[in-house]
Formats: sequence, structure tokens, C-alpha cells
Amino acid sequence: MIEQKKEMISAPEVDFSTAREMSRYLNEPKAMYVGAPGKHGYLRMGFELDKDGKSILRDLDRRHPLIVQQELYFDEGMPEMPCVYILSSGGPNVDGDRYRQDITVKKDAFAHVATGAATKLAEMKYNYSGMIQNIILEENAYLEFIPEPIIPCKHTRFISDTRLCVDKTATVVYSEIFMGGRKYYKDGELFEYDILSVCSHGERPDGEQLFREKFVIDPKVENPRNLGIMNKFDVFANVIVMTPPDKADIIYNETPVFLDYDKGLAAGITKLPGEAGLLYKVLGMEAGPVKKMVREFAGNVRLAVKNKPLPPDFPWR
Amino acid sequence: MQLLQFTDSAFPVGTFSFSNGLETASFEGVVKDASSLEAFARSQSHQAAFSDGVAAILTHRAALLGDYENILKMDKYLMMFKMNTEARLMTTRMGKKLAELGSKLYDNEIISAWLADIRTGKTPGTYPVAQALIFVAASIDEKSLFCSHQYGVINMVLSAALRCVKVSHYDTQLILEKLSGEIEGMYEEASQMKAEDMNAFYPELDILASIHEKGNMRMFMN
Repeated sequence: MIEQKKEMISAPEVDFSTAREMSRYLNEPKAMYVGAPGKHGYLRMGFELDKDGKSILRDLDRRHPLIVQQELYFDEGMPEMPCVYILSSGGPNVDGDRYRQDITVKKDAFAHVATGAATKLAEMKYNYSGMIQNIILEENAYLEFIPEPIIPCKHTRFISDTRLCVDKTATVVYSEIFMGGRKYYKDGELFEYDILSVCSHGERPDGEQLFREKFVIDPKVENPRNLGIMNKFDVFANVIVMTPPDKADIIYNETPVFLDYDKGLAAGITKLPGEAGLLYKVLGMEAGPVKKMVREFAGNVRLAVKNKPLPPDFPWR
Repeated sequence: MQLLQFTDSAFPVGTFSFSNGLETASFEGVVKDASSLEAFARSQSHQAAFSDGVAAILTHRAALLGDYENILKMDKYLMMFKMNTEARLMTTRMGKKLAELGSKLYDNEIISAWLADIRTGKTPGTYPVAQALIFVAASIDEKSLFCSHQYGVINMVLSAALRCVKVSHYDTQLILEKLSGEIEGMYEEASQMKAEDMNAFYPELDILASIHEKGNMRMFMN
């Protein structure tokens, strides 16, 4: 009976034991231990079409501190689209936190997922915070995953691994925005984190591996201010779009690329290996203009794939 | 002698036709003098060390064991890391050329099989993998391979700089000397990495490469 209960409350393991770059940060936190309830968040969401052809959040399971309530249909450009904000009741990700998020969008279904606020990564002393994500799209499925920025603090250690398993007819927009730190805290706290390790990799449902991108940013090893890395910029956005080649071509051709130090903005787009889709990168000085660029780009994807507009974001976001 | 031969920019694999994005960096005013050129070349060198450099080392080890399947795996794995079309074009064009050259220089089963697999499209044929196979055929160790590979990356940028940045031969030689001195430290790190540890974070270089890819500047292929 106890065993069964344990099974019910358990969340899938978040294992980064083979990550070489985190091997320096494996002490047990003095506060709550790694894996303690409330420090091991889990979220499973499954979107699918109901019998009337409406896209709904059919499957939902979660563990504290991750919270998702119900899907809402507030997107004026696509009122048939279920929209979900992921919230965390725990405030920032703290030392020793582990998270796992599994999102499935079944055949022909579609969804928009974001976070309710920026993801803050707290100062860490003993261990690190890690997150594993599995994002699975079946035939002709469509997902916009556009969370708010991630803000690392001084001595933050964070690792993530995101697997995008996407059918060749489906489209996913997967975006991440990384602030250099708490720019206006005290005298400014940019690139003072210990390490950010971010890996995203794409594959087909038959297991064919398409691309793999991994950033390991350790400001003490290599200064992010170096030319070619962040240089003068403070904010970085990375947007992966897996979509069929005909759609990718349209979006690629319509996306402007530039580097403008005076405006404090730069953007680039390229085609992913394996005809997997596109990779869009933005550099900027503040979160606002970078978020705007990402949203406009996501709007172009929506227009090319769904032939529907993406309305401007809510003014309070 | 062979090490010098393979590392020489005159070794006919076409390094002279690529600038690794320097052309755009110069046009955009990001690289305009010796100090910005040094910073640009350093980032290029680091970027290559922990992706291409690691792949070269791991392929060298697989070739020493005669583990052909692992060589194919590394070739594919490295292609999955090449995030822009021009980088994929550059690495496969130079890789195939080097494999062709290698099959003429050495009667080596692995190189012949690999070249055949490139021609049938079974494997992409990346340059670092080709370099590793040649170095094993010539019995040169992995550290020399890594150093030669890094030297090649730095030298490719600096040679291009003489044609598109206002710098002199003296400037580029000084930069080459400085950056070459950093290669050994990078080897210590790269030689301990597994394939899944390969990483690169150079968003400004990526954006410059994208501007080049979408633009019409074509003194260099890349």
C-alpha cells in the first residue's frame, strides 16, 4: 500500500549525473534535499482534438511547485486555440530543484503554452537547478511554446535538456529568452552566474536524430562579453522552429537579418540540419524589444502555417 | 614533415575560399582593426575547439581502434551540430576534398570506405572527421591533430583578414602567435570531452553567419 502511494506521488526522475559541466556542483543543499516534495516539479500536458474537433487539454498531471489550471481560449487571432500559462508556486528555481515538463500535442491538435512570469533562477551554493523537457508533436500538430524570459542571478547554476520529437508534418515554435542577469539590481548583475548549460535536440518519431544545439556558458572560463559571443548585448533569444521545408522556406525568406549596435538589436536566421526547420536568434539590450522580435517572428510562423495572425501580446506582459 | 604538409594553408582542400563570417563582420564594422580581429579569431578558435575539435579527437580514437561504425556516428553527430547552411557546405566540401586527397596519398581501407560512403550519400563527410582519418593513416597523434585543426581555423580567418580588414601581415602574425599559444590549454579540455559534451555559444558569430548567408557579399563562399 505504501509502495503504491509512493508510486502515485512520484515524478519522473530528472537525471543529469552524466553532465560533465555540472560535476563541480553536486553537494547536497543544507536546506531541503534534492528531490524533496516541492523541489521536484513535474508537469504533463496532452492536447488533442475532442469528438467535435475542438483542441483541448485532455491530459494534465502536475507536481508542486508547477501549476497549470485549465486551458483558456483568449487568443483573438486564433480563438479556437487552447492557451496555457505554466506557473510556479515556489518563486524562483532554487538550489537543488529539479523540474520535468512533458508536453504532447496529438494529431491535428494545436496549443499555445507560455509561462505566467519570468523564470527566476536563484543564487545557488551547493547544487544546481535542472530541467528536462519532452515536447512531442504528432502528425499535423501545432504548438507555440513562448515562455517569458529566464533570469539568472549571481552564482546561478542551471542545466536543461529539451527533446523535440516532431512529426515531419507538424510545426513547433520553441523559444527561450535568456537575460544576462539582474541588470538593474544593485550596481547591475550581468553574467555573474556560475553556469548555464542548455541543450535542445530535435528528432523524428521514428528516432531519426536531426539536430543538437548545446550552450555551456561559464563566464569564468570564457567571458560572454567577448566579440562573437554576447559582445555589447545583454539579452539573448533562441527560437527553434521545426516545420516542413516548404513552410520553412517562406518564413526564412520573410525574416530580416541585421546587426545594429545603435539600435541595440541583432537578429539572424538559418536552416536547421536534416531539413528540420529554422533557427532564429536575437540579441538585444532589454527584454522588451527582444520579446517583441520573438513574438513577431512567431507571428510569421503562425501566418505561414495556420494562415492566421498572432495578436500583439497583452499590455501587462 | 607530414604534419606541416597537412597544416599548411596551401594543402589543397580549399580553406582559402572561406572566411568564417569575417567578410560580414568586417562589412558590419564588428571587426575593423587588429584588436577586434584578434577577438573575432579567438571566438572562432574556441567555437571550433569544443565542437569540431572534439569530433576530430573522438574520430581519431575510433580510427585507431578500426571502429568504422563509430566514425560514421561521429560524422553524422557533427553534422547535427552545424546550425547553418554555409557551415554545412564548408565542412562537407572540404571533408570530401580531403578524403579524395587522402585516398591518393595513402592506401588506407578506412579512408577508401569512407570516401565511397560520402559518394553514395551514406555519410555527410565532415572536414574534422577527414582530418582525423588522414592523421591516423600518417601515424600522427591526436594532440597534433587537434593543434593542426585549430591552427587551420585561426589561419583561415587571418588569411581572409588580409583581404577584407585593414591589417598588415605583421598584425596577423602577432595574432597567430598569441592564439596558437592558447591551443594547448584547449586540448587539455577538449580531450576529456565526450560527444554529448560538445558545445558552442557564439550568438553574435551565428548572426553574422546568417547575415552573410542571406546577403549578396560573395568574395568568400563563407
